[in-house]
Amino acid sequence: MDSSTASILAEVFFETLGYWYIIIPTIFLGLIVGGIPGFSAANTIIILMPLTLALDLQSGLVFMISLYCSARMGAGIPAILVNIPGTAGAAATPLDGYPMAKQGKGQQALAISFVASCIGGLLTTMIALATMPILARVGFYMHSVEMIVVMLFGISLIASIAAQDMVKGLIAGFLGLMIGSIGTDVVYATPRATFGFLELYDGVPLIPALVGLFAVSEAFVIIEKRVIVNHTNEPKAPNWTDTFDGVRIALKRWVHIVWTSIIGLVIGVIPGAGASIASFVAYQQSRSFSKTPELYGTGHPEGLIAPESANNGVTSGTLVPLLVLGIPGGATAAIMLVVMQFHGVSFGPSLFEDQPKVGYGMFMAMAVSYVIMFLTILPLSRYMSHVTTVPTIYLAPMIIAFTLVGGFVPREYMFDMYLALAFGVLGYIARRTGYHVAAILIGVILGPLLEKYFLWSLKKSDGDIMVLFSSTLGNILWVAFAMSIILPIVFGMRRKRKLEVPAE
Amino acid sequence: MASEHHKPPRQLGGELVIPIIAVGFTIYFFSTIWNSPWTAQVSAFMVGGFLLFVCAIFFVRCAVWLSRGEGSLGFGNLFTIEDIRTGRIGLLFTTIAYVMFIDTLGFTLMTFLFLAISMLILAKGKRPGFILMISGAMALTGWAVFIWAFDTRFPRGWFETMMKAVLANG
Repeated sequence: MDSSTASILAEVFFETLGYWYIIIPTIFLGLIVGGIPGFSAANTIIILMPLTLALDLQSGLVFMISLYCSARMGAGIPAILVNIPGTAGAAATPLDGYPMAKQGKGQQALAISFVASCIGGLLTTMIALATMPILARVGFYMHSVEMIVVMLFGISLIASIAAQDMVKGLIAGFLGLMIGSIGTDVVYATPRATFGFLELYDGVPLIPALVGLFAVSEAFVIIEKRVIVNHTNEPKAPNWTDTFDGVRIALKRWVHIVWTSIIGLVIGVIPGAGASIASFVAYQQSRSFSKTPELYGTGHPEGLIAPESANNGVTSGTLVPLLVLGIPGGATAAIMLVVMQFHGVSFGPSLFEDQPKVGYGMFMAMAVSYVIMFLTILPLSRYMSHVTTVPTIYLAPMIIAFTLVGGFVPREYMFDMYLALAFGVLGYIARRTGYHVAAILIGVILGPLLEKYFLWSLKKSDGDIMVLFSSTLGNILWVAFAMSIILPIVFGMRRKRKLEVPAE
Repeated sequence: MASEHHKPPRQLGGELVIPIIAVGFTIYFFSTIWNSPWTAQVSAFMVGGFLLFVCAIFFVRCAVWLSRGEGSLGFGNLFTIEDIRTGRIGLLFTTIAYVMFIDTLGFTLMTFLFLAISMLILAKGKRPGFILMISGAMALTGWAVFIWAFDTRFPRGWFETMMKAVLANG
């Protein structure tokens, strides 16, 4: 980095700090829209498009970036407190976040999530800034074959979740994969298992599935208890100790934050891959190489850190192909592209020569947003966690009402509300009879993507299955995938043997 | 001794619901792709075939438990008398009504009615004044944020139409 770039970065950083009056309200807006299933940074920017276009370039840019980052973090808050991920990107967060909330550690869990999100987001922004030319090439090397292995990393989480009862876990996961295959196939557009509904030709929409499986079914389950938090863990009065404990726990696991956020960054760089893939892959990798994999799913901080760092790592990753190549890495980045083009900004390699302040400004806006977010949101964790003490007789109907209409928002079909209700019934039956709803959801989210890349690969090779082992990077990923499956088993056996030795 | 305690038989009727749904859905899925190009079939047959295999293992396992008397075909883990006592059945009916009538009555009015009736059922009729107040406040907040401020296309009814007219005419 030469001195002129450094001076531009410093200048842009302080300029962006001057937009605190836009960033702070946007952070709160982002937390709200991120927390309600169906709403997201992408559709909020679309809804507020007239406002965004009326602002000057710098203000509009700061607004969009702050909203993007805070919505990503906001999605984790209801996932932790009431087991309802605000977006598919936070679908892995409740696996350990919600058990912590039920144990009366909601405030601690929120603090861990905020620290992991902010440090993960900030760190990956810096890495993305420093390694942009290299990262931009990742998208070129990741073809359908390589993407199949990335998807398998995420899908193998089903097996981890299924560890308690392998047969039931696999039934749930593969039922999810089958449900995810509903709709037309990607090559000849042949409709499959649509029950005659035109609304299912595009596949099963994710938000109604998310709303039904998590929110609606959870609302029907929690009414058995007076409040969400377990009776044995009566809520404490608001205090700072739990917040500081959460910060301490997260900072102690800084290495974990670093490597899981880098997973998010790399996946974010790949156009089409998203936060949901990143968070599942990060969770699976975190569990695979943990010394205490048996604690995952019971309220383990590392199980919360991994998806939260990773999905915030994705935010900076998606900016790389947008800025360097002009290819948006996700829906929000695509909308940003439209808004920026309205202001006369042309993306691509020339951006950093023609308008360096805009290019670097986007990363600086992200960095400043994460810093301000950390300072403004962390103190609120002590109040937010009290959602878990609201009597369920009031909470359950509110969850149902606001998440069901959230299911309606993305496509604006009444059909999607019925679909969310149907998924709610499926989720309720699954919860009551010992099937994991997260395993079903992983299948619904990742199944269609896996199929898409699989069919593209086969189509390109005229049906030769060996195409899956035809690229060097793909083969390296296959080896890494095999290692991530085998090594935890070897480590587990070794740990078991070590524990048995003293007993003998 | 702990091992001598009588363990209630596993309620396999409830546990079999998901595998039966899975098998039924997989067969239906196969029926829709039977004459389709291979691109539509390949992954569905692979995933569906494995799903049928795992379900078959589960059915065999259940049959063994049933023959040993370790399980029954009951649905106690899915439906109990508690579902009526806790208001779960009532909540299910209000939820179905919410989805059915929101398009006709509009978001605000239907949300108010759903929240009020559901909370009254779950609270067994206690504190009606408080429930009506928070239901009204939540429905109005929803209207203000989602319809008035964000102008989302939530289902509109006479309340939304009336408020639009009121706001338009000052």
